[in-house]
Amino acid sequence: MKHVANTLILATLLLGVGCGDSDTATTPGAWVWDLPDTVPEPRVPEDNPMTTEKVELGRFLFYDKRLSANETQSCGSCHIQELAFTDGLPQAEGSTGQIHPRGSMSIANSAYAASLTWANQALVLLERQALVPIFGEEPVELGMANMEDELLRRMQEDARYPEMFAAAFPDEQEPISLDSITKAIAAFQRQVTSFKSPIDRWQQGDRTALSESAQRGLALFFGGTNEAGVADAFECFHCHGGFLFSQSSDDAGQVFDQKFFMNNGLYSLDADGSYPAGNQGLYEMTGDPKDKDRFKPPSLRNIAVTAPYMHDGSIETLEEVLDHYARGGRLIESGPNAGDGKDNPNKSAFLNGFVMSEQEKQDIIAFLHALTDQDLLTNPAYSDPFAE
Amino acid sequence: MKKRRFLVAALALAGFGCDSSSGGEGGTGGTSQSVTIDFAAMVADQVFVCGTTYDNLGADDSSLELSDFRFYVQGLELKNADGDYVAIDLDTDGNIWQVDNVALLDFEEGCTNFGDEATNRVVTGTVPEGSYDGLRFKMGVPFELNHANPAIAEPPLNLTPMHWDWQGGYKFLRIDTGDSSQTTWRMHLGSTGCDGDQLAGGTTTCTAPNRVDVELDAFDPESDTVVADFAQLVEGAALDVHQDGTVGCMALPSDSDCAPLFENLGLPFDGSVPGTQQFFSVE
Repeated sequence: MKHVANTLILATLLLGVGCGDSDTATTPGAWVWDLPDTVPEPRVPEDNPMTTEKVELGRFLFYDKRLSANETQSCGSCHIQELAFTDGLPQAEGSTGQIHPRGSMSIANSAYAASLTWANQALVLLERQALVPIFGEEPVELGMANMEDELLRRMQEDARYPEMFAAAFPDEQEPISLDSITKAIAAFQRQVTSFKSPIDRWQQGDRTALSESAQRGLALFFGGTNEAGVADAFECFHCHGGFLFSQSSDDAGQVFDQKFFMNNGLYSLDADGSYPAGNQGLYEMTGDPKDKDRFKPPSLRNIAVTAPYMHDGSIETLEEVLDHYARGGRLIESGPNAGDGKDNPNKSAFLNGFVMSEQEKQDIIAFLHALTDQDLLTNPAYSDPFAE
Repeated sequence: MKKRRFLVAALALAGFGCDSSSGGEGGTGGTSQSVTIDFAAMVADQVFVCGTTYDNLGADDSSLELSDFRFYVQGLELKNADGDYVAIDLDTDGNIWQVDNVALLDFEEGCTNFGDEATNRVVTGTVPEGSYDGLRFKMGVPFELNHANPAIAEPPLNLTPMHWDWQGGYKFLRIDTGDSSQTTWRMHLGSTGCDGDQLAGGTTTCTAPNRVDVELDAFDPESDTVVADFAQLVEGAALDVHQDGTVGCMALPSDSDCAPLFENLGLPFDGSVPGTQQFFSVE
């Protein structure tokens, strides 16, 4: 069993990397990953191998406002590079003004997401997830439902796209198709990786990369003992550990399901621990009460530039996030969402609250800031070609 | 275990990238005959007409302006003289409404942005020669087709308004009111509780398949019509109130507005014992 699994992994890796090609003269640009040694390669679906032409086409499509019905929004409208591909809003706003129940997630490292979006266990492929914002109706995001013919017409009539699609999909008789659009966008996203933060340099041996405060924060994050003498006082890494700083992390070498959702005690409207209607997390997918209000813990990489926080943006600052976890759940004293998340019966067992000194708080925040990767925020390879 | 599922899924997906013409052409040597199954969309005793307001609906005698009425059917079978059900081999060559053993019935005429003028009120195919009385089918799309890549699907599975991408499948039933910006009620039904697997390359299981079993014991394909009655679908449902967050029912297992609708479809909901299907009947 393991032998066969290893063979599958190897086959996937070879297909993904494109090494061993005997006819590179006729194949599109072979892809080379730019990843540190400390990080595995992402899983690449067999039917969508990476090439430089496909990635470049995907970059154009990602930022192309003609992928929205009214031509006012592109993927890049809600996934803004300088905000690590988020948009600074508590909840995203679609091209027709409808507000999404949840906030835009960063696409950085989405190649490694074990599941995509905040609370969906069915969406595991970037190619399929792309269909949701483009064609979804509730809420309307890019608003292209029933306009797939119009979408293809816009691509065909563009001065550049016919050639770019043909270069990206040389084996297709009809290079411009809904399938090639989603594949190109997926390929672009797949290579938006982020592993060049000060934390990464520290982990690769650069002992000048972190301030002393951030070093202390790193230790506390990863199970250190706090001033009050409690070992693994803060328990952050249990949900936000690993090279992704999220346990919901898949890669080319994984053979087990890595999807991960948990409830972090933000609300408790009733005895069942309900969250506000329309935002009950995985429960809305499965109907299983134990899935009530379980969400994917996002990667903490670049977290300092992706405020506000939580699935609905209801916590504004990192200081308040730490206060939330220190308390062990959020108390809302009045209004329609009144209740004490500390008492939420589905709350993760890791959320017991902790004692945190002011210095410790600042140290953890310094550590979190050290997860910001300036290369991600400025790399021209990920930038908007229409803005040039 | 995971590897076996991966292979099965890969084979299934590979199968649908290739030849999708109807199987069993020419059959086993016996003669076959054409059959046409007529469908009609009604609201009680009124014919559904796109954009019309209908009254006396549901538990509170509500009024709704219905603007979409489409559903997929799969696995149609007719009961022969021996009392055995026999599969209808669907016409698929050049037929944009039918693929494999699935057909789309479409009664809307483009009165919203999500529809179009074309309608389809029949399912056509062939059966072995004989006389038939009795029809069986499911409202739904079979599992492998339901979770295959919609971007390369053939008609009628290539319509983005019938995609249901959040669960990685299709809307088996789509009924809407008003237009998108003013919708006051809708019913979208598909499989829920679906789980995706990176190694399998997509969806592997759904805890609530939500395919509606329909058995019409006395049905003569020569003279009878299958009626889908919206009034029967919403019997007992309070249509003017809705749980915050969703208008109508989009099959969310967490949405109590769905309970009476599921009961009228004979589907379990939130652990309930299924009722008896009353949406489809014979006329």
